Amino acid sequence: MAWEYSEKTKQLFMDAVHGKPGTHLGEIEDPDGLGEHGSMSCGDALRFTFRVKRHPTDPTQDVITAARYLTFGCTSAIAASEALCVLIEQGNLTPIQALKINNKDIVAFLEGLPRQKIHCSVMGAEALEAAVFNWAQRRGVDLQSLGVDMHADERQEGRIVCKCFSLSEPYIRRKIRELNLHTIPEITNAIKAGGACMSCHHVPGGLQDLLNDVWGTGEAKLTILPQTMPLGTPPARPAGESEGQLSPFQFSKRVEKAIEEYVRPMLQNDGGNLEILDIKDTLVYCRLTGACEGCASASQTLRMLVEQTLKEMVDQRIRVIGV
Amino acid sequence: MKIIYVDNNATTQVAPEVRAAMMPFFTEDYFNPSSMYDPARRINQALREARQQIAGHFGIADPEQFVFTACATESNNMAIFGAAKANRNRRRVITTAVEHPAVLEVCKELQHDGYEVTFLHVDADGNLDVGEFVRALTPDTLMVSIMHANNETGVVFPIDQLSRLTKETDPAIVFHTDATQSVGKIAIDLKREFRHVDLLSFSGHKLHAPKGIGALYIRKGTPCRSFLIGGHQEEGRRAGTENVPYIVGLAKAMQLAAENYGDEETRVRGLRDRLEKAIEEQIPYVQVNGKKAPRLPNTLNVSCHCVEGESLLFPLSYCGICASSGSACTSGTLEPSHVLRAMKVPDAAVQGSVRFSFSRYNSDEDIDRIIEVFPEIVANIRRMSPYWDQNGNAPRAGAESLIRGRQ
Repeated sequence: MAWEYSEKTKQLFMDAVHGKPGTHLGEIEDPDGLGEHGSMSCGDALRFTFRVKRHPTDPTQDVITAARYLTFGCTSAIAASEALCVLIEQGNLTPIQALKINNKDIVAFLEGLPRQKIHCSVMGAEALEAAVFNWAQRRGVDLQSLGVDMHADERQEGRIVCKCFSLSEPYIRRKIRELNLHTIPEITNAIKAGGACMSCHHVPGGLQDLLNDVWGTGEAKLTILPQTMPLGTPPARPAGESEGQLSPFQFSKRVEKAIEEYVRPMLQNDGGNLEILDIKDTLVYCRLTGACEGCASASQTLRMLVEQTLKEMVDQRIRVIGV
Repeated sequence: MKIIYVDNNATTQVAPEVRAAMMPFFTEDYFNPSSMYDPARRINQALREARQQIAGHFGIADPEQFVFTACATESNNMAIFGAAKANRNRRRVITTAVEHPAVLEVCKELQHDGYEVTFLHVDADGNLDVGEFVRALTPDTLMVSIMHANNETGVVFPIDQLSRLTKETDPAIVFHTDATQSVGKIAIDLKREFRHVDLLSFSGHKLHAPKGIGALYIRKGTPCRSFLIGGHQEEGRRAGTENVPYIVGLAKAMQLAAENYGDEETRVRGLRDRLEKAIEEQIPYVQVNGKKAPRLPNTLNVSCHCVEGESLLFPLSYCGICASSGSACTSGTLEPSHVLRAMKVPDAAVQGSVRFSFSRYNSDEDIDRIIEVFPEIVANIRRMSPYWDQNGNAPRAGAESLIRGRQ
């Protein structure tokens, strides 16, 4: 897909690439708040740190003075990280006030993001949230008592709906509400859920069911079926067929025996060897190895020595195929 | 700014000679080749000559074995659905996990309709296991569809060997190969090493003809039902008025390709190898995907650890360099390259993959410029990565295991 980034997005990205003064690339050593989101295998990841000016008596009055990021991701992921840091530093915000910055603010700062890149802005907001939580722990601030819900355990708990990106049901439900998502493509664009293998779209308990349930549309059917594959009946084996009196197993045993006792020793005399790849009915697939490999008379050898021996010792119908 | 186009596996620029050959058929030579009057016969003659020339390119005397389509995707659809329709008694198709979607998705569609499909694996180098292939051939196998060269890595499969094994096992199994990436880059002889191939698809825009023209070789006697019906054209196998200017253009492009196989094999390969060597020498923590396998001379797929591919493409394009990536961000879905994943390249390295693919229009100066900017771009983007240790100039301790994890 061609790029449809705003000039602002491109500019922020290129400034960051060239390490222009005033950009926020980097990591604060011994930070007051550290938050991470995403992973390398998911395609983007952000490590966000901030420093506060500590209030002497009331930690909730700490003010963020510096914010930095390290981002693994596409152009818009890096620009969104830059946007997040600018928004935070501009506002002279306390960490709790900073939580009000959401993905929409980031998109607005970037002067728009392509639909399929909205998740980059959500990643910024998520990392910020994690960093504020981290700050609260370090500073002994009880966010719960201040009425801030950090959703701390929803990632660990709850059924995983999107296996590709390891996203749980409580998390997806919350995001559907918070980001006002109404369709599966909207969910995918915002938080990536359902964007890779797509198998969680319409299964029971999948994304469509969650949408229906959250918005009260359609029939909520959240009964989770056991994840069994509805396989068709296995192809019937032709019953009662036999190669003369031999079963296929006995037949291949005979072939192997003949090769072990007669063919292989002869080849080994010449420093060569032979590998059987498969035996199908009367077709024997062989590969000559060792000194025989690439030998000009290899196909002669297979036909005269291997095939002839097997015909005489096991079955006249045998055909040897050189691999 | 000068554009350095190194994405020739995606599409190619139209050769000026091809464009010139096509032009008359847009203006004075516009007639329908099926019409009766004299000027139309001239068009029909040009069409016949073009078909003859294309057949000749593959060592084939009988040009009627080539059917023109709109693109390789259509050729692949026609080959696979057509073969399935022509033999309803067999229900198994063998293909590979690394095919282009134009084959992969068609096979999955058959699977949906109750067919059994075997997706053969590849190893870390991108090679097939011939033993696995042989064991996959069953009495109810309808067809085999295996690409000649991979579009992402350039890895070339031994189609001569695989088609021979197929036919020696059971001549009724139809052998199809998607040769979209190899036609025009390496010589193919359907009378010699590829004589066991029944169906072969390719398209024009990968070899300096325009988009909108493809072809399917159908070996005489191969059971393959038509896909587009409603006309006598192409002997009823593909109805629709022949796309004369594009067919003429394709023939010209193939003639030029034949003249340039030597150049492709030596000079273009040299360009690729020079860039590969420079990247390996100048950028730490890279891996060349498919390096140990037989590869097309023009393709270089390299994974830069700890960075995301799209963020490399953007600064490259800033320098006028057009390349592509297998990262999730560039795929249209959020899933990174199925080819590299099938090669068990860890996801973390798939995300950082960049593909450079060259053509005869690339020069030494192009390579100089890429070598001048690419290592710096990678270093700059790594500076931003939470997985990169700036001081040690290496992946951070945790990230290393993500990259090497599954190897």
